[in-house]
Amino acid sequence: MADATFLDVRRLHGDADVDTSDVALAMDEDAFRAFYDRTSGALWGYLSRISGDRQVADDLLQESYYRLLKSAVPFESEAHRRNYLYRIATNLVRDSKRGPRPLFDAGVEMSEMPAPQGPVDAEGRTDVRRAFGRLKPRERALLWLAYANGSSHSEIADVLGLKTGSIKLLLFRARRKLAATLQR
Amino acid sequence: MRPGNRPFEAEPTDAEIEAIVAEAIAAEASLARTEAAPPSSAIVWWRAQMRARQEAAAAVDRPIRIVHAVAIAAGAGLMLSLLGYAAATLKGSSGWFGGVYQSLAATPLASVDLTSRWVMLPITAMLVSALVATIAAYFIYADE
Repeated sequence: MADATFLDVRRLHGDADVDTSDVALAMDEDAFRAFYDRTSGALWGYLSRISGDRQVADDLLQESYYRLLKSAVPFESEAHRRNYLYRIATNLVRDSKRGPRPLFDAGVEMSEMPAPQGPVDAEGRTDVRRAFGRLKPRERALLWLAYANGSSHSEIADVLGLKTGSIKLLLFRARRKLAATLQR
Repeated sequence: MRPGNRPFEAEPTDAEIEAIVAEAIAAEASLARTEAAPPSSAIVWWRAQMRARQEAAAAVDRPIRIVHAVAIAAGAGLMLSLLGYAAATLKGSSGWFGGVYQSLAATPLASVDLTSRWVMLPITAMLVSALVATIAAYFIYADE
């Protein structure tokens, strides 16, 4: 992650005289930056795996945080704020289906993403990625939230807009589907 | 076959499936963490501030532009009604204005029946077009 300060950025853009203190956002700068540093890497991973497109993940990441900053929701806790952020991100990916570049189509192949660099088990990871790409977007989101983020059923339901009682069954099906694809 | 002894090709149990899936996603999540290169928090914060300022400025400007457009439309309507009132006054006048009106009435234009719908409709259309064009021009040049 680039280590630029706010002043550096303002200097780079030639806007050192711009007064940004009067813009009403939901968090102050320090709180936002700390929250962003804690969550942005994981959210980028979620977005890139759900959308199957790194460029889209880059774009939607900033949009997600902006919408969080503009929201007027009183957050009870860090977890509440994080879940709300993931809900925004999920909706943005879903909405991108309506754009000129659909993401939630079956044609999205995550295996087309570039292979990882370095001495890793690239073949095995490509298999995982291919198998993951064959799932429906909602199944990818369910599994990622459950196993990559360690979210509870109620948190997953909150993020995806589903009933908590249905998460167990949906996860069961998604697990079996992914495992079957991986074992082929 | 004893219970618990499954053949090699048997369906994996739920626990085995969960282990396979958990391991695969954990590996993928680990890879995603190494791939992730989000912009710095300073840049994201700065962009959010700039965008919020732009949106706030646009939100403040919008009602002013609407009021301007309504004012222009009202002004144009007032002008048209004044013209109509002036024409009616001239028609009934016996002074210099009346003479001008009478001389105009003597031209071939006087034979045109202004109450006919074939005359009223095009005139109304032209007036409405002029009004709409004025408002549209205002919005176009206001954006620039």
